[in-house]
Amino acid sequence: MTAPLVEVSDLTVTFAGTPPVHAVNGVSFTLGQGEVLGILGESGSGKSVTLKTLLRLLPARRTQIGGSVRVSGQDVLALEGRALADHRGGVVSMIFQDPGLALDPVYTIGHQIAETVMRHEGLGRRDAMARALDMLDLVRIPSAKRRLSNYPHEMSGGMRQRAMIALALACKPKLLLADEPTTALDATVQIQILLLLRDLQREMGMGVIFVTHDIGVAVEVSDKLAVMYAGRFVETGTVADIIRDARHPYSQGLLAANLVGAEPGTLLQAIPGAPPALHAPPVGCAFAPRCALARPACAADPVALWQSREDRWARCLAAAEADTADATADPSP
Amino acid sequence: MSDAILSAHNLVKHFHAGGWGAARKVVRAVDDVSFEVAEGETLGVVGESGCGKSTTARLLTHLLAPNSGEVRYRGRVAGTEVPLKTFRRHVQMVFQDSYASLNPRMTMLDAVAFGPTVHGIDRAEARRRAGALLERVGLDPARFGPRYPHEISGGQRQRVNIARALAFDPDVIVLDEAVSALDKSVEAQVLNLLTELRRERNLTYIFISHDLNVVRHISDRVMVMYLGEVVEIGPTRTIYDRPRHPYTGALLAAMPSLDPDRRTLEAPLQGDPPNPIDPPSGCRFHTRCAQAHGPCPLHAPGSIAVGHRHIAACHLNAVPEAAT
Repeated sequence: MTAPLVEVSDLTVTFAGTPPVHAVNGVSFTLGQGEVLGILGESGSGKSVTLKTLLRLLPARRTQIGGSVRVSGQDVLALEGRALADHRGGVVSMIFQDPGLALDPVYTIGHQIAETVMRHEGLGRRDAMARALDMLDLVRIPSAKRRLSNYPHEMSGGMRQRAMIALALACKPKLLLADEPTTALDATVQIQILLLLRDLQREMGMGVIFVTHDIGVAVEVSDKLAVMYAGRFVETGTVADIIRDARHPYSQGLLAANLVGAEPGTLLQAIPGAPPALHAPPVGCAFAPRCALARPACAADPVALWQSREDRWARCLAAAEADTADATADPSP
Repeated sequence: MSDAILSAHNLVKHFHAGGWGAARKVVRAVDDVSFEVAEGETLGVVGESGCGKSTTARLLTHLLAPNSGEVRYRGRVAGTEVPLKTFRRHVQMVFQDSYASLNPRMTMLDAVAFGPTVHGIDRAEARRRAGALLERVGLDPARFGPRYPHEISGGQRQRVNIARALAFDPDVIVLDEAVSALDKSVEAQVLNLLTELRRERNLTYIFISHDLNVVRHISDRVMVMYLGEVVEIGPTRTIYDRPRHPYTGALLAAMPSLDPDRRTLEAPLQGDPPNPIDPPSGCRFHTRCAQAHGPCPLHAPGSIAVGHRHIAACHLNAVPEAAT
């Protein structure tokens, strides 16, 4: 068996300040070559921070990172200088929610892609421009040759997002990080970009970590899903596991809030309250104050784990107890 | 129809987008839009960015004056037959950006009480009512009344905006992407609040959103817009089960399936929506429509009745006699 592409273990991220913010509080996961992991969570759950840690994009002075992050065997947290620059864009690259902000407004699309290729692969300008053209074709931008000399503002939102994907994939990274790449797009454009990402992922065989707040989007692109709350993964499993058999009350609440199977006009099973402010790392289950199944034991740390396979678990006492109750009531034949 | 509480008649709004004389560019944000809403009904309005749904909302509440056309409240023309001050007591609006729509220097209690005091209600009485409204939308007035907008969360601010809209005891509330900026778990809470308020007060909603799931959940009827025009309007269930305009079909097909075994395999439409500055001729959708044929680029289809209270602006629905 080959080593996994990404190994994150017990990652913690704290932003200094008064008060400090404990954005990520012990995240561990692995991702194999060519796998797609969707991280699902609401704003402030730490999903984007987790992603940025993989590229070391967080401001170094104000950020304390604990735990370990390895991408294709390389210790990302130890990278410095040129090695870090090689890592960014060469091994791992990222696409963002707003391509209008992520692309440089004063250079043409072709120039920006060529620059990346020249830096990472040492090609000359002519060859790099040829690669840029190939990339625009790859992401199915019509009349790519003309688009090469376009500035970002001359393109529509969907086209810009395609250009950013072309830029991110220009050096054939092993891992693509996608931070809500379709949230700012219209519905009919969103599905085009999702299908494009899915196709390119398959063609290039890269690993993808896809962060989104939209369950529908996550289902379209992911193999595995992780639900994130208050800086922790609270449940992981395959897409089908989470959609059909969510065990954590928060995952169940998110599904209800996405109107999965809701009867029109009726009241929804809404989760009460709001996510916690993470000025201190949560002790016990961070979701307990909003949870209908909460009990005093939920404050115990670490939270009990329900688990059926290595990568299928939910960090919930109620789920764990329900499972043992089932097991005693119905001894396996 | 006589029971319409609010109706739009041939609304047109064009914005000047630079250039003068022959080079003058005009955004046709809303072009000849007509529809009506019955009392107690929720009309969902869907469409992509630039389709004119927000401009329609602003025209309906008279925050923008139309180039032509009129809005009628209970059959009377807003702005002339019904003075705007009276009209706005009956028709209120909630915006997408909960922060931008609150005065940063006003406490929540003052924000809710402000409108009624302008309309001549005694200040103490307005504040007493504002407290009750905050309570109703789920915010403890003692705790949240004295706070400023930056001191509360987005979901709480949107509750305040709803309380403020209710302060006039209106019949109609126009909700322009009112829950779109909220997190899913908070969005569900606010949707529940809207559903409850509607039942309690027999409110009429015009619910504008890009989220087709939410619109299906909350609406009795749905209106679909494309590039400033209404392409289809009809009962929610009919529209979702059997759309009669190819654009509506494409919008629905573009929704993520939420079923890992039946993922979307093909994008229903290619490219982005065209620019409303220079919309395509004839049927504005013909440039992206898989079923476009002879008449589509030449002339606009107009509204064609395809069922009970169901209209679709598509040549495919024309009866054969009319086509000859």
